[in-house]
This record gives sequence, structure tokens and C-alpha cells, in this order.
Amino acid sequence: MKVTVERAQLLKSLSHVHRVVERRNTIPILGNVLVRAETAKLSLKATDLDLEVTETLVAETGTGGSTTVPAHMFYDIVRKLPDGAQIVLEGDGDRSVLTIRAGRSRFTLQTLPENDFPDLAAGDMTHAFSLAAADLKRLIDRTQFAISTEETRYYLNGIYLHGAGSAKSATLRGVATDGHRLAQLDLALPKGAEGMPGVIIPRKTVGEVQRLIEDSEAEIGIELSQGKIRFTIGHVVLTSKLIDGTFPDYGRVIPQNNDKELVVDKKDFEAAVDRVSTISSERGRAVKLALSAGKLVLSVTNPDSGSATEELEVEYASDALDIGFNSRYLLDIAAQIEGEAAVLKLADPGSPTLVQDRDSKGALYVLMPMRV
Amino acid sequence: MPVRQLPETVVNRIAAGEVVERPASVVKELVENAIDAGAARIDVFTDGGGKRRIGVTDDGAGMAKGDLALAVNRHATSKLEDEDLLRIHTLGFRGEALPSIGAVARLCITTRDAREPHAWSLTVEGGRKSAITPAALTQGTRVEVADLFYATPARLKFLKTDRTEAEAIREVVRRLAMARPDIGFTLAGEGRAPATWTAALPGAAGRLTRLGDILGGDFRSAAIAVRAERERVIVEGFAAAPSLTRANALGQYLFVNGRPVRDKLILGAVRAAYSDYLPRDRHPVVALFVTTDPQEVDANVHPAKTEVRFRNAGLVRALIVHALKEGLAREGRRTAANSDGAVLTAFRPATSPRPADWDWRRSPASPAGARPWMGGPPATAFAEAGQTAFDVGAPSADVRFDAHLPMDLIDRPLGAARTQIHETYIVSQTRDGLIVVDQHAAHERIVYERLKAALERDGVQRQILLIPDIIELDEATVEKLTDRATELKKFGLAIESFGPGAVAVRETPSLLGKTNAAALLRDLAEHMAEWDETLPLERRLMHVAATMACHGSVRAGRILKPEEMNALLREMEATPNSGQCNHGRPTYVELKLADIEKLFGRR
Repeated sequence: MKVTVERAQLLKSLSHVHRVVERRNTIPILGNVLVRAETAKLSLKATDLDLEVTETLVAETGTGGSTTVPAHMFYDIVRKLPDGAQIVLEGDGDRSVLTIRAGRSRFTLQTLPENDFPDLAAGDMTHAFSLAAADLKRLIDRTQFAISTEETRYYLNGIYLHGAGSAKSATLRGVATDGHRLAQLDLALPKGAEGMPGVIIPRKTVGEVQRLIEDSEAEIGIELSQGKIRFTIGHVVLTSKLIDGTFPDYGRVIPQNNDKELVVDKKDFEAAVDRVSTISSERGRAVKLALSAGKLVLSVTNPDSGSATEELEVEYASDALDIGFNSRYLLDIAAQIEGEAAVLKLADPGSPTLVQDRDSKGALYVLMPMRV
Repeated sequence: MPVRQLPETVVNRIAAGEVVERPASVVKELVENAIDAGAARIDVFTDGGGKRRIGVTDDGAGMAKGDLALAVNRHATSKLEDEDLLRIHTLGFRGEALPSIGAVARLCITTRDAREPHAWSLTVEGGRKSAITPAALTQGTRVEVADLFYATPARLKFLKTDRTEAEAIREVVRRLAMARPDIGFTLAGEGRAPATWTAALPGAAGRLTRLGDILGGDFRSAAIAVRAERERVIVEGFAAAPSLTRANALGQYLFVNGRPVRDKLILGAVRAAYSDYLPRDRHPVVALFVTTDPQEVDANVHPAKTEVRFRNAGLVRALIVHALKEGLAREGRRTAANSDGAVLTAFRPATSPRPADWDWRRSPASPAGARPWMGGPPATAFAEAGQTAFDVGAPSADVRFDAHLPMDLIDRPLGAARTQIHETYIVSQTRDGLIVVDQHAAHERIVYERLKAALERDGVQRQILLIPDIIELDEATVEKLTDRATELKKFGLAIESFGPGAVAVRETPSLLGKTNAAALLRDLAEHMAEWDETLPLERRLMHVAATMACHGSVRAGRILKPEEMNALLREMEATPNSGQCNHGRPTYVELKLADIEKLFGRR
């Protein structure tokens, strides 16, 4: 194998794939990246057995071939090479080494045989559709914060992506919940997604996709089957296993008849919650919302340090109500509001509260109160 | 004052001070006599810490009337056949015990030789012999010692409490009983239930039975058989797996040709062999038996014979280290936790679960006076305000099972990984039980062994010092250190002698970073003076390697995929000593199916 590639390109690709590789591994080859040279292109592949990222870049291929080298070390070498350098990769199968040359630098890395490199064996994908990068980004951004990290309910450790609604109002919906709050975002159902199975995309995959589409403008190709999902983002292909579990019937917890409507200015509300919660302790982060006509009083009492109160002018016309929330959860949800105002629909101090964006449709949040 | 020849009674009392130091030494001498007499059963009775009464009865050969009269004379013995101190096959040989005891106590010996028509009895009180009278005894010898040290009140005053003396006696009998599993022992008196150690079968099995009886069941289950032989010196015995440790070195026993000895040799050798498995302040439990030609060992160092000298001490030490290391490496994956029932007792049958809304304040367990105000809201200072939650289903572990994994893994020693719990422990199924592995500890050991192998293969890189460190030490130490210069260089420390009273350190191990060479060398010198080994340097290097291993291994909290878990288990099977992490904690525990069945009352 012999291939020449531009340093900046190689660095960018490696920065994408090497992140998948864990620093410490019980299986040595999982610390490696697969390097494959084909006609006029070089592909790099890394995996952690649940998630696999492949990136293809333009290269000048002398002789084709493939091998695997330690991912983090390879990345560090390329990173430290001077900008604008042409990098020559040359594999010597007999000595099982890969030589990296750039200018007057020369590195020789130990390789492991490519045959041992695990393959996710994606199999047949049953559904394929595409989404605008901005839409996928919104779906992830609006729901990711609610993903549970609790391993005992492993089926909550991801975003539940599925088709919802019917006929004309059919949507592609992402839902995440950790049992305390729930986030849901609807997008118009793209062509090809009709009848797709509901799938749970693991947290790590969500994070990687989010990073990869950060500066992408193009359409993102999505293929999926019962057990796997694949994202094609430009030259990068990310394939991941899905969480094999049943997402709970989340529809039951979304309140339908909350009649007390509160409209708050997003910025004012966020800032006020942030201010009063300064007083709260690590143990209890409860903030009390006291509602009366046109007025919201936020208060925090911490028996160890003191108390804080702040009054906000709001749109509220129902009966007075006192309700408590975890301040961190309130801030998390406030951060999701894209428009200027948030609409909170409440019932009583012990029931779930519905939060929506007044100006932007498609997203809804549910938050469970705290007993204060 | 004119020079006088001291009367014999005084001479005897002076001499007695050396042999008979405390009641325990009387017991030791008498039991050793019984063993030398070929007894199959020895009964020991003591009272008042041995000060009031000591009785030792055996079923050995006994003595004829003529021998009995001689036996209580100084330097009279039946044990030194050809007056050759180089060939000693018995525990005693000096002929001092009985006269010494007779000089300071009231001694009564009743004995019967098989050829005599009946037994004979003789008493000695404060050195004065009585006439020999006929007595009744079927076989063997009964020695009774009363009012020990009554003739030397000064010594009596310096004895410890009855309890302490009784404990010392107990230790003496335990040691002798460990040395001779083929003899049955009982130890009675002191208001305690008598301890009985029945005669065990000869051979290793019997020896282990006896050791287990004395050192406890946890030793028996953790014991690893060790053995090494070279140049007609045999070291054999049992060493506990590193999971069984003590806070002091008292659990280390050495026997040379059947004689219990206390020797620095064994302490040093055991430390060296276990250095890789145990933290510095923990000590292993071992019982080692050295068998050698009597000519190779001098037991005549100390009147009480608790010390011996070997003609070739280096060989014996090397053999002990070798035997222990070999045994530990062979049984390295063993842990004590699987067999001593600790795991089992940690499991408890479920008691009927309490309803979720159970409140102790409303239960009968609540303090009566406190009840009235307990009904109110909980104090906010302690209770976190309750976060309510949706119903999102019951907790369940991710028990996906990958059908692609080969099924025969279950037959491997560490079985097939089934799941990971708390992102820290791997649960694996074996043919006859289940295993729980601490993933970090296990991987740490594997990485550490790899680093160690690399260190041994490639040596330690040396950092040359800009200004050599000159360290002043005494001449003997300098010589000792420079003698080992080549060995030290292998570990990255280059030294040379710098005049008669100093050494120059020119290079230090780069692995240790900026190290205080003077402190290291002094530490090394002190250790070498005491133990004649370079352990402190190795220990420091290995400590660095251990830290590197800790950082380089998968942490607790990392989710492992089934393939990764199985890879770790296979690697553990292939790695020596993978039963313990570098700090001596077990890396896995095993629960046998039989134990599980016991828990559920199926057996």
C-alpha cells in the first residue's frame, strides 16, 4: 500500500473518526483505525463495536491496500506535522508496519492485521430517507438534554425516533425522557420514512452525529432497519447499533387538559430562575413558582444560607397556584425555547406541566414538579 | 573476696535461666522430649499460666530405672549417639532440659519402659533429687512441673500475667503440632475448653489438615501447595493466596527438619516473593518446611534452639522465594473469596419487601414520645424536596444476548460473559457457577503484567545526572552496594564507590523522575544490611508501573460490550496472577452452583 494525501484533509478526517475510539481497550484492535487505499481515495474507519465511522477522502494512490494503526497516535502525528505538508503512507505487510513520511519526518507505526478489524455488518436497511442538516440538528438539539443516563432503564438512554400522526399530519418524531422531564420534536415526515419502525438511537451516537453535522449544510442520508441506523453526512458514513428495547408509551404522560395557561418572556424567566437558584443548595434545587393574576413570584429557600425572591410580570389569568420545580430542569427547558416567549400549561402542584414555544411549532416539553 | 567454686545447685540455677526462660520454654522442652521419645499422642495440661502446674504426658518409649536417675543430671542425654553435634536427628541433644527444670521447680517424672515390670517415679525439688520409687503408668512418660521458679523468685517476678504466659504456651504447642501432624495433641487447662488436634495422615494432605485446624479454615481454603528442591534441600509447605493477609508477620511459620524456628531468613524471603501481590503493610500467611541433611544446618546456636544457621543460607532463601513465586504464579487466579463462604454469607435471603409507602414513623418502631409531631411535613434541612416522576416502566438491566458469541466459552475457567452491572462488574457464567469480575482491577493487573514484562525485557532507561550525587555511608555498606552494582544497573541505578566511605550515584532510573537519590540509596543500604536484597528499588519501580497500569486500564463506569468482556476474561485466563489486582484485592469472586442451591435451600 502506498498513498499520498494532503495533511489538512487527513487531519480533518482523522479528527472525525478517532473520537469513536476509546482510550483504553480490552481488545487491542479496537484502539486502531482501519486505513484503506483505493483508486484515488483513502478511507479511514474506526469502531467501538456499537458505532462505526467511515470517512473517505481524495488521495493519490500508488498501490492499493489496507492496514490498521493505533488511532490516537496516528491522529497526534498528523496533528503535529506542519500545515500544508503532503503525507505519504506506505504499508509493509511483511513487517506489519506503516511508514508515515512528510518532509523530513518519518514515523513507523506497528500495525495489526486488517482481517481482525471488526465489521458492524450492517445488513439490509429497510428504510431510507433524507433530512436537511438543519432539521436533524434541531431534532437532536431539542431532545438530547432529556436523555436518561440511568443504566437501569437502558431503553431511555437514547432518542426514540419514529413516525407519528397519520396521513397529512404524519410526522417524524424524536422523543427523549429521563422520567423527570420529556422532550418531543416533530418534523414533517420525509419521503421514504413511511412505515419505519420506531428506533432508539443511543446517546453516544447522537453526540457523534451532532458533532458531524455541526458545519454541514447538505442533506443527511438516513437508512435504518430494526437493529441498525446509518447516517451519511458528506464523505462521512456513521453506522450504529440501536438500543434493543421498548420505549415506554410516552403519550400517556403528556397532559391534554391542563387549563391554567402561563406565558413568560423566555429571557426574563431564564435570568430570574438563574438568579434565585443561586441560593439553592446542592442537595435541593427546588424553586417555588407562586402564580396569581398577571404575576409570577419565584422563590428559593435554603435553610442553610437564606432565601431569594423575584417577581415577574406574566400573562396569567387563572386561579392562584403554587408549584415547585427543579431549577436546573427549568433552565434546561428554557434554553430550548427558540422564540421570545414560552407557554406553560399547568394543572396542579402534583401533575405534569406542559411547556411549549409560543412562536415556534413542533417542539413540546413535559416537566414533573417537585413537592415543596 | 576470695574466688570460690560455686556450688552445683547455683550453677544449675544459672544455667537454667538460659534454657528455661518462661513457662512456655518448659512446655517446649517437655513436648520436644515426648516427640523424640516417639510418642503418637501428647497431652499437655497447664494451670496458672504454667507457673502453678505443667503436665506433659506421652505414650512414647519411656525410660528404664537406671536411665531415669541419669536423666535429671546435667548434660545427660540419650539423643546424641556418637557424640557428633553435626548429625542431629532429634529435637533435643544438649541434655539440659530436665536438670534445668529440676533446679528451679518441683519436678516429678513418672516413666515406664516396656521392658520394666512397672513404672518408676522420681522427684526433683529445687535441684535436690529424691529416691526412685515404684509408680503406676501403663506406657510412656508423665512429667509434672509444679511451682515453677519457686527456687528463683527473681525470675518469677519478671513473668507476665497468667493469660500472657498461657498464650505463649499455646503458641509453642501450636508450632510443634504444625511440625508433626502425625502426632495427636491435646492442650488443656487454664479454665478453657481443651484443644484437641487428632493425628492426621502422613503426607501433604495430613499436613494441610493440621495447618487448617491450627491456622483456621480460611487458610485451608486459600492454601497453595509449594515445593522446591535443589542440592538435597527441600522446601515444601503451604502458602495462602494473597487475598488472605495479616497485619503482622506472625502468621509465617518455618520448620527446619521438623524443628519450629523463628528466622529472619523466612521473613525476608516471604516479603520478596509476595512483594508484587501485597501492599506494604500486609503480611501473608505461610507455613514452610525445610528438609535438609542435618550436617547442613547448625541448631546449636541458641540454648532454646529457636534459631538455626544454614551452611548455605543463600540457597535456602532462593529456594523459598522460588517455591513461593512458582506456587503463586501457578495458582495466581485463585482467590480466597470463592471458597471461604464470605461470598455466600454476603447474600441474604430476601425478607418480605416493605410497601413503597412504608414509613417507619408510623410503625411500632417509632419512639413513642416522638410521634405527635411526626405527622407534619419533614424538616426541610435534611429532606430533599421530592422530585416527582413519570411512570416510565420498571428498571431492567440491558440483558441483550449476542447470539454470535461462541457457546463453548462456558467451559473456560472464567466462563462466558453474560452482562455488565453497574458499569463496573462483569457477570459471567461458568459450567458450575457464576463469576463476578471487577473490570478495572482485572484489566489493571493485565496491563501491569504487560508493563512488567516490558521492563524486564528492555531494562530500565537511565537518566545521567549532571552532578553525581555523593552519598556518605559506612564502609561495609559501600562495599555491599558496590558488589551489587551490576544488578542495580539493570534497574537503572548506576553507582560506583567514591573513596572508602562514600558512593557516587551517576545515573538514576528515568522512570522515577526527579528522585531523591540519597534517600533511595540509604533506604536501599538499610534494607540490604538487613535482608540482603534490593527490594526497595524494585518496589519503587513497580509502584510507578502500577500507577501507569492504573491509568492505562479501563475504568469502572465504562460500558463494555459483550465482545470486550469476553476478551477481558480470556486475557485474565492467560495472565499470571490475574486473581489479584496490584493491591492484593481479588479481581473476581466465584459463586458455585452448589452454593447458590444452598442459598435457596435446595440442598
